[in-house]
Amino acid sequence: MPANQPLWLRAVIRVERTIGQPIEAAVRSDTYFDLVSTTTRVQRKVAGTAEGVSRRCLHLLNLPAGSDIRGLRQQLARMERRLNELSHDVAELDGNEPPSGVT
Amino acid sequence: MSPRVPTALNPGDVLQRVNRDVERSILRARNGIRYVRGTNRPALGATPKDVVWKSGKAELWRYKGGDRRYGPPVVIIHSLVSRSYILDLRPGNSTVEYLTGAGLDVFMLDWGVPDELDADNDLERYVDWYLPRALAEVRRVSGHDEVTLVGYCLGGVLAALYAAGHEEARVRNLILMATPMDFNEMGAMVALLREGRLNPEEMIDETGNVPADALYSGFYMLAPTSEVAQKAMLLENLWNDEFVEGFQAMATWSRDHVPFPGAAFRQLVELLVRQNILMTGAIPLGGRQVVLANVRGNVLNAMAERDNVVPPPAVEPVMELVGDPTRREELRLPGGHVTFGTGRSAFKHTMPKLTAWIIDHSDPSP
Repeated sequence: MPANQPLWLRAVIRVERTIGQPIEAAVRSDTYFDLVSTTTRVQRKVAGTAEGVSRRCLHLLNLPAGSDIRGLRQQLARMERRLNELSHDVAELDGNEPPSGVT
Repeated sequence: MSPRVPTALNPGDVLQRVNRDVERSILRARNGIRYVRGTNRPALGATPKDVVWKSGKAELWRYKGGDRRYGPPVVIIHSLVSRSYILDLRPGNSTVEYLTGAGLDVFMLDWGVPDELDADNDLERYVDWYLPRALAEVRRVSGHDEVTLVGYCLGGVLAALYAAGHEEARVRNLILMATPMDFNEMGAMVALLREGRLNPEEMIDETGNVPADALYSGFYMLAPTSEVAQKAMLLENLWNDEFVEGFQAMATWSRDHVPFPGAAFRQLVELLVRQNILMTGAIPLGGRQVVLANVRGNVLNAMAERDNVVPPPAVEPVMELVGDPTRREELRLPGGHVTFGTGRSAFKHTMPKLTAWIIDHSDPSP
């Protein structure tokens, strides 16, 4: 800690370290890892359930749900990827781009 | 004889100190308002550059600079989890600027911000598709047959796999900065995934990628209270424009993560984290075995002594696995995962040593 730091700053840094070290140890513990994985799974399950309910409601009204839009976006992305690959293949066949040499 | 006034109470000194404190208070107020309003943000990644190649989100930049006095060109391969401007943070504090200033021809391969279109990008896509094409363009525009590859963090893994898996690679020098090899030594960052508490699918969102927030949380939890001390340091130095600018630049970068492409993430978890396959010296990639010892050229393994993201024990095995044993060198530098690449310590230690090593292993340009 530099000697020219004011007293208040040194105190804050000391307090931060005093509190921070046990917290850092705690977030590297098995208990914390278990808590994170459980929380993540619960969050996903709750979100999935809520999404399922809202999807059914929207479909009853013949309206698209967020998951439908997402599915469409994924399909479009897949198609765009395929198109990009084909354009690159064509460019390589034309000799405009170097082919990848794999060993 | 009049009594001596103690130095601390010398009226001249007291007046000077009061003046200084008043001036600093005014500057603190001004900078504080600017900081809260979010104005006067520093220019990030400001070294002038040209985009010389582009494919999907990936872009290859060639930095403009003074005379290009040395060859082969230096190509920086950035990591997949963060923004590349950390190596070109701001004028006067930029690895890129330092390298170009030393007469090197510097390129950066930036991966951009992945979205749904990049969800299927696997390691093969980076190593066997993007890298060969980008490096062919480097050779074309620079007129050099060889390159010096600099891989930072996971970018180092990609660079090493490319150099080992491509006969035409012509990598004269391979510099691996904070590049993980032994994922069993990666600590808290990968513990959840290594031990199967979380599966990759549970971290991948509807775009098919690992969201940037999840990556930020992972880094944040390594030192959750450190922000308190950092904010206190900022308060103390709020009068100092240079400090505030540096602080804002780092704060912006540390929150600015990018999504991790889902396909590459699945491979990373299965092969690199769970099987710790790099420690066997070979990895299956694109239907072949890529053997790390096949890297031709000089290898420099640069690591930060206080790195808590990729700790030295995770990096050290590079010296036993990558390239020809007689052409490996190690460079231990002070600093952490980020501060050894940017900031005062980097300017004092990393940049001069790295630049000197590259120049020693380069030729003067004709």
